[in-house]
Amino acid sequence: MKKLALLTALALASAASAQSLSGTVTVWSWDAAAKALQSTIPSFNKKYPNVKVNVVDLGNQNVYDRGLAGCAAGGADMPDVYSIENNEAEVFWARFPDCFVDLNTLGADKVAKNFPAFKWTELMAGNKRYAMPWDSGPVVIFYRRDLYQQAGVNPTAIKTWDDFIAAGKKVNAKFDGKVKMGIVGNGQDDEWFRMLANQNSCFYFDNAGTSVTVNKPGCVDALNTVKKLYDAQVVATGDWGGQITSFKSGKSASAMFGAWYEGTIRTNAPDQKGKWGVYPMPASKPGGVRAANLGGSALALPASSKNKAAAYAFMENALATTGGQVAMLKSQGLVPSLLSATKDPYVKVAQPYWGNQKVWQTILDTLGDVPQARGTQYFQDARQVMIVVQADFLKGKYKTAKEALDDAAKKISSATGLPVAK
Amino acid sequence: MTTVPKRRPAPRAGWWARTPKAPYLFILPYLLIFLTFWAWPIISSFLMSFKDSRLGATAPFGLANWSRLVQDEFFRTALRNTLVIMIIQVPLMLSLATVLAVALNSKLLRAAGWFRFAFFAPLVVGTVAYSAVFRLLFNTDFGMVNRALTGIGLPPVDWLNQSGPAMTVLVLAMTWRWTGYNAIILLAGLQGISEDVYEAASIDGATPTQQFWKITLPLLRPSLLFCLVLSVIGTLQLFTEPALITNSGPGNATMTLGTYLYQQGFRSFNFGYASAIAYTVAAIAAIFSVVQLRLFGRDE
Repeated sequence: MKKLALLTALALASAASAQSLSGTVTVWSWDAAAKALQSTIPSFNKKYPNVKVNVVDLGNQNVYDRGLAGCAAGGADMPDVYSIENNEAEVFWARFPDCFVDLNTLGADKVAKNFPAFKWTELMAGNKRYAMPWDSGPVVIFYRRDLYQQAGVNPTAIKTWDDFIAAGKKVNAKFDGKVKMGIVGNGQDDEWFRMLANQNSCFYFDNAGTSVTVNKPGCVDALNTVKKLYDAQVVATGDWGGQITSFKSGKSASAMFGAWYEGTIRTNAPDQKGKWGVYPMPASKPGGVRAANLGGSALALPASSKNKAAAYAFMENALATTGGQVAMLKSQGLVPSLLSATKDPYVKVAQPYWGNQKVWQTILDTLGDVPQARGTQYFQDARQVMIVVQADFLKGKYKTAKEALDDAAKKISSATGLPVAK
Repeated sequence: MTTVPKRRPAPRAGWWARTPKAPYLFILPYLLIFLTFWAWPIISSFLMSFKDSRLGATAPFGLANWSRLVQDEFFRTALRNTLVIMIIQVPLMLSLATVLAVALNSKLLRAAGWFRFAFFAPLVVGTVAYSAVFRLLFNTDFGMVNRALTGIGLPPVDWLNQSGPAMTVLVLAMTWRWTGYNAIILLAGLQGISEDVYEAASIDGATPTQQFWKITLPLLRPSLLFCLVLSVIGTLQLFTEPALITNSGPGNATMTLGTYLYQQGFRSFNFGYASAIAYTVAAIAAIFSVVQLRLFGRDE
């Protein structure tokens, strides 16, 4: 501990004079997120010209796997800045409490209030702040204006999931079932279940992370809706790559995801410029909540980094300044969680790709309605159970959604040792 | 008569002094490496299977990992999938390999060396590369297999997103990769069978089919047994194909003991439970090997 305090003091002392920071900062990240971080390097280098930043795109799963392996090996082969998904973050703090620096020792407590409180829940353990909030994933429906119009569907009239299904039937009729209202991950992922459950204030675990709540009414309703969409044949199933293929080839009239999917659509289908739009996700019942969150990441600083002061300076510039966050919003559509950035003028700019709609306004307006949910250190165990239960339920293996989720709760409980909530 | 003076026997040297040191010194580096990197991890993971490697978990220590294993549906799914692959793929592959070996051994075959290399070649290809190629071949929208199917008027199959087809892809991929390897081992066995036996059989009027069943197969049994034991152990450890081609999916439809072990160890980072799984897999492999040697290995 003494050593750490000394290092910290040194780090703070050197942070005082920006010019003295030098060396290389290696950052691990993935796909669009890596490109987004890259876009903050120019503004960082303006402040710290002697630091060379090296963003390595390892792919999402690899970052997770190599990070855990590196922590298990006592911090061997770790970068200076480490990208981490909020949902998966707690497994790191729980298993390897010494693998990452408590950012409070570098001054993170001073910027803490600039982020919404809910973004910190998964990033803290006790008083320690292990990572800094990055983006969030407010869920919306991305839709093809032209296809909706041809089928006679008015997106502003879609207020509930029943409306959505009715619209899907029109789309089916117009395009002989060749165009779907969406592609649901089934067998590979359970993201639609998670988005719908979150909308209904339900999740795998309670917010204290002490019991399994996946069979509560909000989740039952969510799973039922997935089944209704599937049975009405207004959605097809497909994995991540299949969904991208589908919208690129014009077989999807819409897609539901966290707002970060904006960049995925825009960069994968540049030829569909002007044809897309955005509207809030439908509610489970009239007047219900039309918001949820999917994904969202953070940056952590491995304790083995040899260049902590420069690494922290990079994180601070990218995440804790409006300039950094807006640069990432512009380049890859990463939705800032920094409060000041959500009020940046750029948010109100009409986006040509999206038919000149002010999509960021629409998306960020839902942020305040997002019910809280917590991944806990057992996120991967629970997700694995739910992927299978959802696929089995759609196949008709269970009589009711309640029965399916009771079974899921039992399995998650036996995998995690947490009790099923009464 | 002279008496030979009795020589006083030299004092008996101790065990240590009598033992030659040099050989032990020579193998010492190996022994140290063996103890550090083989023996210790094996013991350590056994001890770990009795520990809770997830801080903050409410399950007590002791037998918690083992009792979870007994009730774990995912483990049963993984075991069932592994056994299904074993029961379908291993016999299919060994029959093909036997036929192939006989063909490669035939005097009628020209350029035998080239063919032997061709069938062995899949093993030289990197596993990651071959997995990627199979993923592409069986891609629903762009795969060559579906192109071929639709080309002859058949409906396309969603290979990797349905449980039955995904399993089929795995079996095909593994058969493609390992049949040639087994055929080469069997070929070596075939070449050990004396020509005289066949000559005698021909003189007695045995047809080639009779010769195959009555001579070739029985005499090939030791080689076949060797291939069988290796293939069964290999299947129990199966990891690369389900991890890279089907990603254990859809759902858990192609999850094997190997991928489940990996998932528990390196996704959930539950080393204690992963160790319990690893020991169970090792025990199953040992039991299978003993049973096979007993059943098929008589009089050897």
